[in-house]
Parts: sequence; C-alpha cells; structure tokens
Amino acid sequence: MNTTGKALLAAGVATAVTVARRRRRTPDDQATGRWLVVTVYRSPEEVQASLPQDLTRWGDDVELRIVPAAGDKGTELRAKPVGETSAHDIRLALRRAKALLEAGEVVRPDTAPTHPGPLGKALGLVTNRAAGGGRL
Amino acid sequence: MKALCWEGINDVRVQDVPDPELLNDQDLILKVGLSTVCGSDLHLLTGHIPFMQAGDVIGHEFMGEVVEVGAGVTKHRPGDRVVVCSFIVCGRCWYCRNELYSLCDNTNTNPAITQHLWGSDPGGIFGYSHAMGGFRGSHAEYVRVPFADHTAIPVPEAVDDMSALFTSDSAATGWMGADLGGVKPGDVVAVWGAGAVGQMAARAAQLLGAERVLVVDRFDYRLRQAESVFGVETVNYAETSVGDALLDATGGRGPDVCIEAVGCEAHSTGPQYVYDQVKSKLKLEMDRPIAVREAIYNCRKGGSVFVLGVFTGVVDKFPLGALMNKGLTVRGAQQHGQRYIPMLLDRIASGELRTDHLATHVMPLSEGARGYDLFKKKEDDCTRAVFRP
Repeated sequence: MNTTGKALLAAGVATAVTVARRRRRTPDDQATGRWLVVTVYRSPEEVQASLPQDLTRWGDDVELRIVPAAGDKGTELRAKPVGETSAHDIRLALRRAKALLEAGEVVRPDTAPTHPGPLGKALGLVTNRAAGGGRL
Repeated sequence: MKALCWEGINDVRVQDVPDPELLNDQDLILKVGLSTVCGSDLHLLTGHIPFMQAGDVIGHEFMGEVVEVGAGVTKHRPGDRVVVCSFIVCGRCWYCRNELYSLCDNTNTNPAITQHLWGSDPGGIFGYSHAMGGFRGSHAEYVRVPFADHTAIPVPEAVDDMSALFTSDSAATGWMGADLGGVKPGDVVAVWGAGAVGQMAARAAQLLGAERVLVVDRFDYRLRQAESVFGVETVNYAETSVGDALLDATGGRGPDVCIEAVGCEAHSTGPQYVYDQVKSKLKLEMDRPIAVREAIYNCRKGGSVFVLGVFTGVVDKFPLGALMNKGLTVRGAQQHGQRYIPMLLDRIASGELRTDHLATHVMPLSEGARGYDLFKKKEDDCTRAVFRP
C-alpha cells in the first residue's frame, strides 16, 4: 500500500472510530428514553391516517406522538422506546415512514460492487448501519 | 455491461459489472448517451473523499435515452431523450418543495455518515461515494435513475445531446452561483475557476445583467475559451495580482459578487499553497480553501460570496474577520439542478447559452482512464472529457 493508500486507510479508520465514539455517547442499541423525531412534509391528519406498519409494529414498546411542525413544515413524528427496542431500529423505521409518507417509496441502494477490497469492506461496516444511525 | 470503475487511488478502469435493474417503482433505466468527467470526480480519484469501494461506478453528469420505466413513473416513456440531474431527488419533501433540491431528505441511503460529518445529510448523488448514497454512476452503458419523474428532465428537440449534457450539472451549478449569489444588473462579478462550472457561472452572471464579469484561473487555454466564447475579462493569477486586477476593474471597490468555482484542492502561487499542502497532507485540515479566502478578501464591502466548489470538511485560516467586518453574505450549495435545468435547456434552444464547447475531448468509454488522465493533468487543452458508452 502506498503512502496515499495508508492515509486513506487512516482517514477511513478515523471516521469509523468517530462514528463509534458518537454512538457510544448516545447508546444507540439501548432504549434511551429519548424522543427520536423526523419532520414529515404532510399534515398531521395524513400522517395519522397512513402510519406505516414498520413504525407501529412495536405496539406499546414504542410511544408515538404526532404534532404539527413549526412554520408550516409539516408534522413532527416522534417515537420513544419504552421497552427494549433499539434506537437504531426506531431511526430506521422513522426514516422509512417519512420516505413512504412523502415520496411513496423508500429508495433502495444500488447493488454493491463485487470486489470492494479491504478498505471497501471496512467502509461496509459503516454503511451497513448508516441507514439507522445518525442524528435523529 | 461495461462501466468505468474506481479501483483505488488514481486508478480507474473499465470493468464488466451487472446490468442495472428497476429496484423501485419510481425508477427508470437509462441507456447512457453521453457522460462527462467533472472536477469534483478528481476528489474521488485522489482519495480526498474516503468513502469509496473498489468497483464503484463513477460519473454523475449525463444524458441518454430511457429504455425501461417502473410502474410508478408517469412522466417518461421508453425512447424519451432526457438529461439527468446529478442529484437524485424525491420531489416531495420540504426541501424539494422549496426548490432546495440537493438537500432532499429522502435520497441518501447512508444518512448517518454525513449527519455525523456535517450535522445533516444532503441528497444522494450518482457515482459520488457511499457518503452520498452509494448510487452507481453514469460512466456506464446503462444506469438506474431513482425517482425518475423528478430526477430526469426531458430534452427539447431543438437541443442537441452534447449541449444538453452540461445542463445535468455544470451549467445548473454555475447558474445557481450567480442566481443565489444575488447577481443584479450593473454588478461587477468575479469568478474563480475557468473550468466548465466557472464558465457557466460567468455566462449566467452576464445573462442576469452583470456589467462586467472577470474570470480568474492559471490555465491560459481555459481563460482564452471563456474570453472567446462569452466575451468575459480574464485574470491569470500566475502572472497577475488578482487583488490589483479586481481593484482596478472596480474603481477600488471590489466585485459586488464573488463566485468560487474551484473547490477543496485549490492551487496557488504563494506560500499559502505550501502551507495548505502541508496541513492537508498531515490531515490537520481537510480542504484547501485558497480561492474562498481570496474571494472573501477581495469582495467589496457588503458584497456577496458564493461557494460552488466542493468542500468536504474543516479548513484553516478562514478569514472570518473579513467576512464579519465587511458585512459580507457568504452562501454555498450543491446544485439545485431541477430548479434550473428546464430553463437552461430553453436558453440553449434560443441561442442565449452555449455549452457544447466544453466538450474538448470526446471518446468511447473504453478510453475512460485516458480521459481522466487528460482532464486531471490539464493536458492537450482539456476542459472536459466526454464519454460515449
């Protein structure tokens, strides 16, 4: 591996470490009791009437709240785990619900390359969880 | 099918990859007619954006013919000729409804990466790393286009393929810089970068009424192209002091609007270039914002600076004092293409806007690696290499 390749590897590892640290800071895979929220550009009535099963499947284990967003930006769709449901799964469900309600479908990623290489495999560890991570 | 793939640092190769398929109802499959390199691709080639996997298909500025549509596509049919915006957009989230298309909420399939890096995730882009969604790019025989009714735009009969191609990204990006930069009739506008985006920003400024437009670069052939095609004034920063030239052109005031179309790997002749090179090599800063610093420093008091070039992270020696004390407005964005592409196609049809001259090197996809080499090294007066898959 040349110098640039090593630098790239270092940058990739640094990013993975950063993501992991931030995940530890907000214990993603545990029920945190914190509200996770997306804003859906639809009226509260439309959101209430069309809540995807993906989000309602947990029943009483996840508390849901639907409130109008400020400034005519739509509806805040809030979810809070009260059971063992992971924040990762709730984020994923919230994002999927938003996409379905706004755009009618959840865009699927293209098929992954057939030979990602060692750096690509390391990146895959990040992207495999990226849809349910982040700052909701 | 054949596609040009990123295989590692400064290594792109034509490979056999699986044909794309309709994965969502709102997808279409496009037979790529033309696909061009872009300066922002060089950040992928150099490893500046470390979210690539070997085998990723690159390319994001393209047009072609629709060959297959999903059940949810209503605006396109097989046989239609379309240009595809480099940003994939749902068309229905708050950002899309407010014409801030590149900020689309529903098209980045890996939102956590950019949410951690930047606080929020912008939309997905074709062929532009897994941080921006991991979608396959357009340097291929075929490409899948998600949310096709909003991402693809019909090309009018009066517009030829090559002219339409550059509305996909460079013309739309350039126009956005002049538009959101606030260019008004009578303004003096300076543009850093005489590549395709810079030339398009300069022409947009003219069409929005600027009285004088000056373009700054170090490559004479690009400056000559901008001068001969659009009649702009030029400044070669390798030979002339940019600050002196801009003060002279504006009676000592500075340009009303400064548009930066260079990006995160900017060059310079001064010691700051060495400084930025060392800091970026040591990973103490991620980007080299030389043109942004110059734009802020040289802009008139109360003026406007628009950052069009691609940046990825944190920078050093950002002139916050000049920005604040001179009362500047600084703004930036990835392109909101869907807002501009139909209008740009109409302007091309009417003869107001020329784009086809940017295609200095047209070649088959099999010569993709050579095209990127010419483009990267600025050899043979290459402004843009265009592939015909």
